[in-house]
Amino acid sequence: MTSDTPVHTIQVCRTCGGGAPVDAHFCPQCTKILSLGRQGDYFAFLGVPRRLQLDPAVLDERFRALSRQFHPDYFYNATPAERRASLERSSYLNDAYRTLKQPISRMAYLLEIEGVWTPADKAEGGGSKQVPPALLEEVFALNEELDELRELRAGGARADQWQARLHRARQPIDAKRAAHEAELEELFRRWDGLAEGGGTEAARHEVLAALRERLLERNYINNLLAGIEKELERPAGVER
Amino acid sequence: MAKVVGIDLGTTNSLVAYVKDGAPFVIRDKSGDALVPSVVSAAPDGTVYVGREAQRRLLTDPARTVYSVKRFMGKGIEDVREDARLMPFRVAGEAGGVVRIGLGEREFTPPEISAFILRELKHRAEAFFSAEGEIDPEVDRAVITVPAYFNDAQRTATRDAGRIAGLEVLRIINEPTAASLAYGLDERHAGLIAVYDFGGGTFDISILRVEDGVFQVLSTNGDTHLGGDDIDRLLIERALTLQAGRASAERIQEVRKAAIHAKWDLSEQTETTFQAVRLTRAEFEELITPIVERTLEPCRRALADAGLAASQIDEVVLVGGSTRIPLVWNRVGELFGATPHSELNPDEVVALGAAVQSEILVTGNRDMLLLDVTPLSLGIETMGGVTSKIILRNSTVPSTGSEMFTTAVDNQTAVDIHVLQGERELVADNRSLARFKLRGIPPMPAGMPRVQVQFQIDANGILAATAKELRTGIEQTIEVKPSYGLTDDEVERMLLDSFEHAEADFAARMLIETRNEAESVIMATEKALRSPDFPEVASREFQPGEQRRIEQTLAGLKHVLGSSDRAAIQQWTTVLNDATRHLAEVMMNRSVQAALTGRSVDQV
Repeated sequence: MTSDTPVHTIQVCRTCGGGAPVDAHFCPQCTKILSLGRQGDYFAFLGVPRRLQLDPAVLDERFRALSRQFHPDYFYNATPAERRASLERSSYLNDAYRTLKQPISRMAYLLEIEGVWTPADKAEGGGSKQVPPALLEEVFALNEELDELRELRAGGARADQWQARLHRARQPIDAKRAAHEAELEELFRRWDGLAEGGGTEAARHEVLAALRERLLERNYINNLLAGIEKELERPAGVER
Repeated sequence: MAKVVGIDLGTTNSLVAYVKDGAPFVIRDKSGDALVPSVVSAAPDGTVYVGREAQRRLLTDPARTVYSVKRFMGKGIEDVREDARLMPFRVAGEAGGVVRIGLGEREFTPPEISAFILRELKHRAEAFFSAEGEIDPEVDRAVITVPAYFNDAQRTATRDAGRIAGLEVLRIINEPTAASLAYGLDERHAGLIAVYDFGGGTFDISILRVEDGVFQVLSTNGDTHLGGDDIDRLLIERALTLQAGRASAERIQEVRKAAIHAKWDLSEQTETTFQAVRLTRAEFEELITPIVERTLEPCRRALADAGLAASQIDEVVLVGGSTRIPLVWNRVGELFGATPHSELNPDEVVALGAAVQSEILVTGNRDMLLLDVTPLSLGIETMGGVTSKIILRNSTVPSTGSEMFTTAVDNQTAVDIHVLQGERELVADNRSLARFKLRGIPPMPAGMPRVQVQFQIDANGILAATAKELRTGIEQTIEVKPSYGLTDDEVERMLLDSFEHAEADFAARMLIETRNEAESVIMATEKALRSPDFPEVASREFQPGEQRRIEQTLAGLKHVLGSSDRAAIQQWTTVLNDATRHLAEVMMNRSVQAALTGRSVDQV
C-alpha cells in the first residue's frame, strides 16, 4: 500500500454521533464542523497529494478555500463546541500551510511522517554534530584555514588580509551547498515519480534515506556557515 | 435588535463606525465631527468630561485632565516613568503592578480611563441610532482596533477596557489590517499591499497579500512608542528651551496646542509662526527627520520577514494623522517606489475597517476574510535560562505550538512553566508573560514524566496555555493574565536587540548548553560513584589508578564549571567522559544500576 492510498479510519461527529472519513472537515450527516481529534497528516488535511514538488499556487488556493470554510470569524454565533472545533481546525490549517509552503520544511515533515526523521535527528538541531562523511574533506580544509585565520586576527592582522582568505576558504562549502540544491531537486523528482507510479518499498526507502542524509548535511552546512558569519561579524578583540 | 459597531481607540482621537446596507460609515456628532479626542477630565464637582470638552479643559485645568492613556495600557509603573514626566496628571502604581492614573481626587487604571472614552463613543452611536428612528438603538457589541505591534498584555488591557465600558468585545483587530479592509471594499484590490500606519502614539507596518477577498498578513513590525506625540514633544522642547525658567503645566499645554497647530500648518504651507518665532517647513523637516527615519527600519524588517523586496509591493496605503506630513509621505513613497494611497481619510479608515469586521462576525458573510499574524514570538524558559520559541513571530493566527518537558530530579512532582514573549535567546532579555505550575506529577525517576505544554493564540492575538503530563493525563489550563505588559522600549528593544545582539546571545546560549552537558556528566558520574555496587566493580574491574583518575577529572570539571570558559568546560567534559567510559560499560553490562542506562545514549 502506498502512502497515497486513503486510510479508511473514521472520526466521530460530536454533534450527531455519526461517522466521517478522517480527512473530512464537516460531518456528512449533520453538516456541522468536526472537532479536531483524529485527523490525517498535513497533506491530507489540505487535500494535496503527498509530494515534494507542490505547486505553490495550488497550495495557496487550498489554504484560502479552507480558511473560508472554518475560520473562527464565521462561527461567532455557533455553539461552543463548534467554535472550539473551528479554532482547532484553523490553527491546524495554519500550521499545515506554514509547514508545506517551504520546500525544506515540507521535506522534513514528509521524512517525519514517513518515519525516517527521528526525534534524535531533530534534537541535534536538525544537523549531525559529526561531520557528514560527504563533507569530510571540505570541512577539514576549512577548519584548518579557520585556525590560521584566528591566529592572524588575534595577532592584530588587518581585516582585509584575512577576510579575502576566509572568503576563499568558504568557497568549497558554498559550492557544496549549491550542488546540494540540485541533488535535492533530483530526489524530489524521484520521490514524486515513485509516489505517482507506486514504486517498490525498497525504492521508496532508498529515496527517503537519501533525502534524510541530504537534510542532515544541509543543516550541518547551514550551521557551519552561520557560525563563520557570526565569527566574522565579531570584532577581533572580543575573541576568547 | 441591539447594534454592533467598530471602534478605533486611538492615542489622540477615537472614532466609531457602523455598516449600513453593506457599506461602512463613520458616526459624527451634530456638528459633523467624527473625532472624539481621547481625553478625559474630571471637574472639581466630580463631573467627568470626555472628548472636545475635556480637551478644552486641558488648557484650564491640566492637572485634572488625562490624555494619551493608550501609552499606559498593559504597563507597569517602571515602564512609564519617562512618559509620565511630561504629563500634567498623576501617574502612580506599585512596583510589579499595574499603573494607576489620578483623575481629580480619584485613581483609575488605564483600562478604566479608556472605558470612559469607549462609553462616550457608545453613547454617541446610540444617540445617532435613536435619531435614525431605530427601535433598539442600544450598542452592546464592538470590534476594537489595536496597533499590530501590541503585545498580549496591551491587547488584554484593551479587551478589559471594552468590558468595563459595557461592550462585548467581539474581536480585537490590528489597525493596519482594518485599514486594508476598508480599502479593499472600494476597489477589490489584488496583490501585495503595504499599510504604513503612523498615528498619534504608535507606528505599525503590515505587509499583506490580497486575493479572492482574503486579506492575508504576511508580516508585521513596528514601534509601540513612536508617533505624532513625539513630533509634538520635539517642538515643545524647542520652544521651552528658548524661554527662561520652569514652565507651568498650563504653559506646557499652551505650547503643546501651539505645536500641534504649527505641525498642521506646515503640512499645508511652507512656513508658519510658532510661539512668535518663524518656523519654516525645511526647519521642521530637519527637526523631525530622525523620527521619520525610525519608521523606515521596521518597514525594511517587515519586508525581509515577508521575503519580499520593496519593489514587489503593488500598493502602499497610508493610515494615521502623522502621514499627512509631506516628509513622511515622500520618504514612504521613496522606500516602496510607489505613490501612496490616501483617497480615504487617514483618520477614519481604521474605524471603517473595524465596522466591516464587526459586520463579518455578526452576519457570517464570507465575501471577505482577514488572516492576521502574531507580532512577537512566544516561548518558554528551558534549562539554564534559555528561551525555547514555540510560536514564531508572523505566524498566522489562530495558531498552536507545543513542546515536551521532563523533570530534572527523581520524584519531582511539580514543574514550573514560564511563558515569554520576544525575539531574544535568553529569558532575561524577553518579556515575562506568566508563570504557572503543573502539580501532581506522580513520583517517577528524573526524565521519566513527559509534560506537554501547548500554546494557543486565538484570532485576537491573545494567548492561552495548557500543560499536560502524558503518562497520567493530568491537565491544567491557564489564561495567561499578566499584571502588566511590555514597556514600549522593551518591545522595541527586544526586536532590535535580537538583531544587534544575535552574536552575544549565541555565545551565551552555547555556554549554557555546554554547562548543562557538563552538569549531566557530573551528575551521572557521582551517582555511579555512590552506587552500592561501586566498591565491588572498582575492586574487580578497575585498572590501578582508574578510580583516582575519575575522581581527579571530576574535581577538575567541577572547578571550571562556574567559569565562562566554554572551551575549558568542554575539554574537561570530554576528559571525564573518557575516564568514565569503562565504568559506564561495566555498569551497563552488569545492568545493576539504572543511573547510567537511564540516560539517553548520546549523553553517556
